[in-house]
Amino acid sequence: MVRLLISAVTVSFSLAWGPAGAETPERHRFVFGADISYIDTSGLPSWTDGSVGKLRFDDDSDGLVLNRAFVDYQGLITDTINANVVLEIYDDDLGSAIDLTEAFLEWRPVPRSPNRYRVKVGAFYPRISLENTDAGWGSPYTLNSSAINTWVAEELRTFGAEFSVSRRPQSLGGTHQFGLQAAVFWANDPAGSLLAWKGWSAHDRQSRFGDELPLPPLPQIQPGMMFENQDPYVAPFREIDGKSGYYVSGDWRIGSRFLIRAMHYDNRADPTVLEDGQYGWTTQFDHIGAQFSLPAGFGIIGQWMRGSTVMGSVINGAHAVDVEYESMFLLLTKALDKHRFSLRYDNFEVTQNDATPEDNNPENGHVWTASYRFGWSEKVSFAAEWLSIKTHHCGWIYYGISPTATEEQLQLTVMLRFSN
Amino acid sequence: MDCAAVHGWLCKQGLTLEYVTYGTCVGMAEFTIIASTWTRRQIFFFVVVWLYSSIAPAAEVQVTVIDRDGAPVPGVAVYIESTGAGALPAPATGVVMDQVDTRFVPHLLVVQVGTEVEFPNSDIVAHHVYSFSNPNDFMLPLYKGDAHAPVTFDEAGVVTLGCNIHDNMLGYILVVDSNIFGKTGQDGQLTLEASPRGESNVKIWSPRIKDKGEVLTRSLTGASNRTVVFKLSEKLRPPHDSASGAIQWSDY
Repeated sequence: MVRLLISAVTVSFSLAWGPAGAETPERHRFVFGADISYIDTSGLPSWTDGSVGKLRFDDDSDGLVLNRAFVDYQGLITDTINANVVLEIYDDDLGSAIDLTEAFLEWRPVPRSPNRYRVKVGAFYPRISLENTDAGWGSPYTLNSSAINTWVAEELRTFGAEFSVSRRPQSLGGTHQFGLQAAVFWANDPAGSLLAWKGWSAHDRQSRFGDELPLPPLPQIQPGMMFENQDPYVAPFREIDGKSGYYVSGDWRIGSRFLIRAMHYDNRADPTVLEDGQYGWTTQFDHIGAQFSLPAGFGIIGQWMRGSTVMGSVINGAHAVDVEYESMFLLLTKALDKHRFSLRYDNFEVTQNDATPEDNNPENGHVWTASYRFGWSEKVSFAAEWLSIKTHHCGWIYYGISPTATEEQLQLTVMLRFSN
Repeated sequence: MDCAAVHGWLCKQGLTLEYVTYGTCVGMAEFTIIASTWTRRQIFFFVVVWLYSSIAPAAEVQVTVIDRDGAPVPGVAVYIESTGAGALPAPATGVVMDQVDTRFVPHLLVVQVGTEVEFPNSDIVAHHVYSFSNPNDFMLPLYKGDAHAPVTFDEAGVVTLGCNIHDNMLGYILVVDSNIFGKTGQDGQLTLEASPRGESNVKIWSPRIKDKGEVLTRSLTGASNRTVVFKLSEKLRPPHDSASGAIQWSDY
C-alpha cells in the first residue's frame, strides 16, 4: 500500500505540475484521483476475500486504506472525435494493480439538423447509473454505490458500439430533449454470475477488464458437483459464445431539472457454453432511472431494475441456475455551499426458479447510506459515510453463516483530485 | 431631459399642454398650447423645446408582457418593424454572445440584420459552437478565448446555438429587420424609443412563449395608445436554466 501511495502521489505531481507547468495541450485532459480512507466495519468477511459479506472491506482491513487511485483521460483526436481512457488502481488481489475500466472513442458530428448523432466504440459503461457522474465514474453524492450501480460496476461493461440520437424539438422551445440509444456488444457473457451466486452488494469497487472476482465457496462448484468446471472466480468481461448482445434505451430531459431514462438489456449469452472456467449467463433486465433537481439545492435520484439470469442446461423446465432479481433505491441530496448531505435507501431481492440441489441463491435486504461531503478546494474533499446493510440469504447456512446479518461500515475519506 | 421633464418645465413657464396620446409624450407637433399671453421669453423657450423634441426620440412605446395569469414575463425580445422607414442605420458593433460556466450569456441576444456577433469563450474548457438554423447556420470549431472572427447574421430569424461538447448548452440569437429592439426586464416591461414611419408593428419573441401568430404582433400605425400590453394565453415553457442545481447531468 505504501508503494502504491508513493506511486500515486508521484503520478499526481507529474500530472498536475509537470506537463501543466509547460505548454498544456488543451486537447488532452487528465484527471488524477486518489481516495484514502479510515474504515471501521462490523459484520461478515468480505466477498472480495471469497466470502459473502456485501462490503468491500471487513474487519481485516479496518484502519487506513487506499480505496482507489485513478487516471481519467479525455483527449480530442479531432474536433469531433474524442478518446476516453480510465485507469483504476487498486490495492487488492482481484487483478493487477493497474488496469482499465473504460476505453472508447466517441464521434460527435456537428449537428446539421435538430437531431444530434453520437457513436461510441470501445468498452464503456452502459447508460444506467445516475449517481456516477464524476471523473473516473465517481459519485458526487456517496462513497459507496447503490446496490444497482455496485452491480453495474462489478459485472457490466459494453464492449461494442453504441449509436445515439437526441433531439430538442423546436416546437417545445428547446427545454425538452429526447434521446434514443442502441448498442450492440460482445464479451460480458459471464455477467450475472456474481449477482446469482453472491447476490447484491454495496461498495465502491469497479471491475477492471482483467479482474477475477472471487465467488463464495459454493457447494455446486466444488469437485464432483454440477459446476465443478467453474473457476472459483468470475471474469465478467470474457467472450464465451461468440454471440452479440444488445441494449436499447431512451431518455427525456427537461432543462437541467428532470431526467428519466429507461433501458432494456440482453447479453444474449448461450447459457450452456463453458470456456476457460467461465459459463455464459443469459442476463436480461429492464431499468428505469429518474432524477429531479429541486429548489434550494435539493435533488432526488431513483433507479429501479428488474431482470433475470440463467445458466446451464434446462432441467425439469428450468435452467440449472435460474434466478430473477430486483432492486431500487431513492437518494435524497442537499447541496449547501461547499457541503453536501446525501441519504439513500436501497432495497434488493433475488428469487429463484430452479430446483437445483445445493444451489440456494434467494436473498433480500436493504441498505441505508448517510453521507456528508465537504469540498474544501477543487483538489481536496473530505467525506464521512455510514452504511448499514441488512440481508437475509438462506444459502449462507452452507458456510456456517447465519442467514440474517447486518453489516455496518463507517468511512472517513480524503479525496484528492488533480487535473490539467 | 425626457418628455415628463419637458412637460414639467413647460408648465413652470406658464404654458399648458395636452398630450394627444394618452399618457405618452409624442412630440411637439402634437402639442396644443393654451396660453393667454406669450412673452418673448416664453416663445424663446418654446422654440428651444421644439428644437429639443425634434432631435430627441420622438416617441416612446411602452411594452408589457404578461403570462396568462397576469404575471410579468422577463427576458422577452421586443422589436418594432416599420415599412417605409427607409434603410436601417448601420448595425451596432462590438456585440457579444459570451460563454461562461458552460452557458451562453446572454441566453437570448437580439441583433439587427447584418450585425457581426463575437463569440468569445470565457470558460476554462473548450467549446465547439454551432447552429443549424438555416440560413444563419455556422460552426466555430473547438476553441477558447477569442479564437474565431465574428459571425455576421445577414438574414432575419431565430438562430439556435449549441455546443457540440456540452449538449446542455443552449442559446438564441434573434436577428430582426429593425434597429429598435430590446428585452423585457424583471417587471416584464420595456420602453422603446421609437419614431416609426409608415406601417409599424411591435413584435415579441421568446423561446418560452407557446402562443403563435397575431397574438405576438401589434400594429402601432395610427394607434393612439402607445402602451402595448401583450397578454399570453398559453402556459409558458419552463426557462432553460443550466445553472448549477443539486444534480449534475450524467453524459456517459
